[in-house]
Amino acid sequence: MSAASGYALALGQALLCLALAPGLIGLIRWLKARMQNRRGAPVWQPYLELRKLLAKETVVSTNASWLFRFAPYVVFTSTLGVVLLLPVLAVPLPLGAAGDLLVAVYLLLLGTFFLALAGLDPGSPFGGMGSSREMTVAALAEPTIAVAMFALALGAGSTNLGEIVARAMARPAEAVSPGYLLAFTALFIVTLAETGRLPVDNPATHLELTMIHEAMVLEYSGRYLALVEWAAALKLLVFFTLMANLFVPWGVAVQLGAGALLLATLTYVAKLAALAAVVAVFETRMAKLRLFRVPELLSVSFVLALLAITASFLSR
Amino acid sequence: MESLFSQLAMLGSSLALIASFLLLWRRGIPAYIDAFVLQSLALGATTALVGHFTGNPELYLVAGLLTAIKGVGIPLLLRRMARRLGSGRRVPPYVNTATSLLVGGLLVLLAYVVMRPVVQLSQLPTRAGMPLAMGLIFISLFVVVSRRHALTQVIGFLMLENGIALLAVLGTYGIPLIVEIGVFLDVLMGFLVMQIFVYQIHETFQSLDVEQLNRLRR
Repeated sequence: MSAASGYALALGQALLCLALAPGLIGLIRWLKARMQNRRGAPVWQPYLELRKLLAKETVVSTNASWLFRFAPYVVFTSTLGVVLLLPVLAVPLPLGAAGDLLVAVYLLLLGTFFLALAGLDPGSPFGGMGSSREMTVAALAEPTIAVAMFALALGAGSTNLGEIVARAMARPAEAVSPGYLLAFTALFIVTLAETGRLPVDNPATHLELTMIHEAMVLEYSGRYLALVEWAAALKLLVFFTLMANLFVPWGVAVQLGAGALLLATLTYVAKLAALAAVVAVFETRMAKLRLFRVPELLSVSFVLALLAITASFLSR
Repeated sequence: MESLFSQLAMLGSSLALIASFLLLWRRGIPAYIDAFVLQSLALGATTALVGHFTGNPELYLVAGLLTAIKGVGIPLLLRRMARRLGSGRRVPPYVNTATSLLVGGLLVLLAYVVMRPVVQLSQLPTRAGMPLAMGLIFISLFVVVSRRHALTQVIGFLMLENGIALLAVLGTYGIPLIVEIGVFLDVLMGFLVMQIFVYQIHETFQSLDVEQLNRLRR
């Protein structure tokens, strides 16, 4: 593909993700509500919330430094940067040379890091608590992501995201190999932990002593809050995309063409909706774990990732 | 065909292994029994699978017996025991959950190292699953030595037996039927004896903490 159309595609993918992200959150909320016999807010509710927040006045604590104002932009742009690297609709990726799996994972962590700093900055007790918890979860989840990703990279022989997708499409039998399944499960648990879903964090609450994400962003308002929330939705979308396209890559376009891209878009949305349904079922059926049991859950995911890499490394 | 067989056999043995991790992770006897049922079903399915691909009808019978005895019969007895004994005071294990999970992961790595020569020698399409079966045996042994609750130890022993059966079916395509039936009887008898022991322990100490047995010395 030519360079220009490649960059246009990357940009188009990023815009599509940006547009879909709040809808994904809305869909999970709506599905959860239906499963709990509530009528639920419409799927597009998060868009309305974002518009409202963007129009609102921004209040910043007098104790807050420049970091507090700076962090939402870092969080948002780093997450958006990851989206540019992801194989959302088509492979090979035009920006494949700019970054691989490792860059994607650590860009996400950069956002987490700045959000935690911003939680500490205004000096409110809730923010500090949230940041400390977020860092605990991130420190435990990060090795799992790295190891699970390496299990995939070993199978494909490359850490390039596009390569992994192309390789998985070429050898469909590998998608049911235990290495892949274990890595998928590990990544699923980590997704729940990293994006603040149940059973690690409760996304439906704004005031609870055990909250993590909400505690960090409690001081934010207006435009900043909109950016942070949008970035959080985008992060969930990024993890879903990783799970959907790295493990079940069918539907991703291999050549550029209107038909192939349309098909890729449709399958992508369908995969996201399926994952959203799975998460909604999980969140309806599970209670939040006690904070002290979260490390146990994350060590389960770490062991799964370890087994995944063992299976794909030693049984080759 | 060959590769599909080895993939499915690998999947079955992974499921059996995952069940042993469930035993390490979750809490409460009912959850352990569920994990044991899952494992027995995975073992039964793997046995039937090997029977299907090797064209050995005896293995179907073994798979049926496995599912009936370990997937239905013993869990039923276990549930009845758990009900009769009541939940009682929670007995914490010697090793905490997060550590035992990590130990479990390391044991699987060890199993890979130990089984490496065997896997290299073997030509069977099921050879990739053998280290997992060995890992399952190691983890079950670990459960038996690291848990204090008598019923958990019994479940650990039953899982150990599952691991040996899995290793046998993956490594040799099943042992002769008469031996297999002997093993089943052995397990059943062993289980019944252990059941009596568990009741006796409960009778004597009003608890299923095996630590209490040390008091017998005094």
